[in-house]
Amino acid sequence: MSSVLSVEGLKKFYGNLQALAGIDFEVQPGEIFALIGPNGAGKTTALRIMATLLTPSEGRIRFLDFDLKKEPEKVRERISYLPEEAGAYKNMKGMDYLKFMANFYAHTQAEERQYVNRAVGITGLGGRLKDKVGTYSKGMTRKILLARALMTKPVLTILDEPTSGLDVLNALDVREMIRRYVQEGTSVLLSSHNMLEIEFLSDRVALINKGEILDTGSPDELKTKYQATNLEEVFRSAVR
Amino acid sequence: MKKFMNLLMKEIKELVTVQLVVSLLFMLVLFYFIGQMSKKEVERAASVQTITALDLDGSSTSQGIIQGLSSARFNIEILRGMEKEQAIEKTKNGESNFLLVIPPGFGESLRDFKAEEVETYTFMRSFSLIGSRTSAVLKGVISALNDVISNNYLKEKLPASDPEKIKNPIRSQDFVVVKDKMAEGSAAQVAGMISSQSVLVPVVLMMIIIYSSQMVISAVAMEKQNKTLETLLTVPIKRTSIITAKMLSAGLVGLISAAIYMVGFKSFMGGLNSDIQSSTQAAGVMKKLGLTYSTTGYLILGLALFITILCALALAMILGVLAEDFRSAQSMIMPLIFLVMIPYFISIFADINTLSLPIRIFILAIPFSHPFLTTQNLYLQNYTAILGGILYVFAVFVVLVGFAARIFSSDKILTMKLRFKRKKTPSPA
Repeated sequence: MSSVLSVEGLKKFYGNLQALAGIDFEVQPGEIFALIGPNGAGKTTALRIMATLLTPSEGRIRFLDFDLKKEPEKVRERISYLPEEAGAYKNMKGMDYLKFMANFYAHTQAEERQYVNRAVGITGLGGRLKDKVGTYSKGMTRKILLARALMTKPVLTILDEPTSGLDVLNALDVREMIRRYVQEGTSVLLSSHNMLEIEFLSDRVALINKGEILDTGSPDELKTKYQATNLEEVFRSAVR
Repeated sequence: MKKFMNLLMKEIKELVTVQLVVSLLFMLVLFYFIGQMSKKEVERAASVQTITALDLDGSSTSQGIIQGLSSARFNIEILRGMEKEQAIEKTKNGESNFLLVIPPGFGESLRDFKAEEVETYTFMRSFSLIGSRTSAVLKGVISALNDVISNNYLKEKLPASDPEKIKNPIRSQDFVVVKDKMAEGSAAQVAGMISSQSVLVPVVLMMIIIYSSQMVISAVAMEKQNKTLETLLTVPIKRTSIITAKMLSAGLVGLISAAIYMVGFKSFMGGLNSDIQSSTQAAGVMKKLGLTYSTTGYLILGLALFITILCALALAMILGVLAEDFRSAQSMIMPLIFLVMIPYFISIFADINTLSLPIRIFILAIPFSHPFLTTQNLYLQNYTAILGGILYVFAVFVVLVGFAARIFSSDKILTMKLRFKRKKTPSPA
């Protein structure tokens, strides 16, 4: 099966600072692939490059049959990205926000309605969608943003710390939403420093530190390889 | 196009807030009421003034003076059988603002060619700008008195002569020449008229640039502050469409806001200028000299303004990228305001053509100078200078938009920041 995303020798420099030191990984169809590592490891930089926000300094990135650097607009039609600290337009009502975002992806009004209905189902916010986003709690905002990311059934959904800053119950809800909607065929590339979350969600994991990928594999493979009981221990052993 | 319209509508909705509408309406109403109040004050000050006169002389000369004042647009209220102090007290409590006291022996002194003093008392009942016009009226009273006295004297001594011709034997007939056209009138009158007519253009330009640029800068800064920019940049719409939608929405809302502001401002200015009687005469002179805008002239001016506004919006877009949040966006507008203020003040206080070459080049290099120059060049029909200015501003606009598009299509949209403190390297996290 050909991969959805293929990254080879990806490097990124901010002036003299090297954020990514030549990383390689692939994301398979229907797979949840996670980048795990500490703050400053290069996770967000890698995800921003995949989301076409930043340009790679070196390396080759293929998304389906497209060269990500040369054809970013074609890539954008087929991906969705949820940044770590994303927000929604506070003066818009929740429903209007979903319609506004769906309009960019839908080719017909029927398709737009379909996306919005799907998002309404994902959020579970019901009547609160008639209220302005500015009145939402952090958990509610995160849910509507995740629904926005998943509603168009993108080929690849890129999620940067999807449960960052959420309480336990909201984080559980968000994880279940991701799990449920991935079963419909989308692939997910996510980052987190919450190892438990990664273990629960991911099919495969890349351990990243100081801009380098230390190892890649499924959580069980990595635990076996490093003789560890959880991913935190795996990461500690890999760094040493 | 559907995606662009979706984005444009969102941008307009973000800009047209309840606060904006309320503040614009409030400003409109405020200007209207101030204008109406000013109009009433001006009309009151310009109306026929009442002068209270106490004639302690009672001679035919003093009576002649009072009669002369009556025929010189003054309403005379004569006090009789009173002392000076009583007259002052009575006038103070009355509605008249002036008291003229003609001392005893006044007529006799004048007959003996002795300078004589009359006493005038001005009762200042307000200290407003309009209230200060009372001193001008007082000067008018003295001047009218001198005219009456000297004319009476000359008529008595030289009954066959016209006193005016004796007092002013040299008269001038003034003509103004502009290019190949000539009209009777004074240069000061024409310059004053042009100045009063073109005062609105820089104000309009200032308002539109400030409103629109502030909106663009704030719109970009708010996207950054609310963390919506990253999401917007990953949706399938061209980056140039994002820039265009933000500029167009700000331009439209800025234009409407400026139009509303100008309606209020015009109402306010209309109130202040309601007593200008010479404007009709000056307008005739202007027409004879060809110093009026034709429809084409207005279109050229509109084009110059429009391109300048686009230029300002493109610059604002770049400044908006430099802002980290809404708060810092407020200070980002300052460089733009300075660039507008420099040509604005120079156009008021100096003629650019008489400035030294380096200063002239500096002024011409500022794109916002050209609409100010266009207003003057249109009167003088310097179309080459106008066209050159428009082309220059358009070229600057193209460069700025290209630069803005480049920023939006690169990492710089996320990493470029203007920091006033120490420089930081962006986090790779």
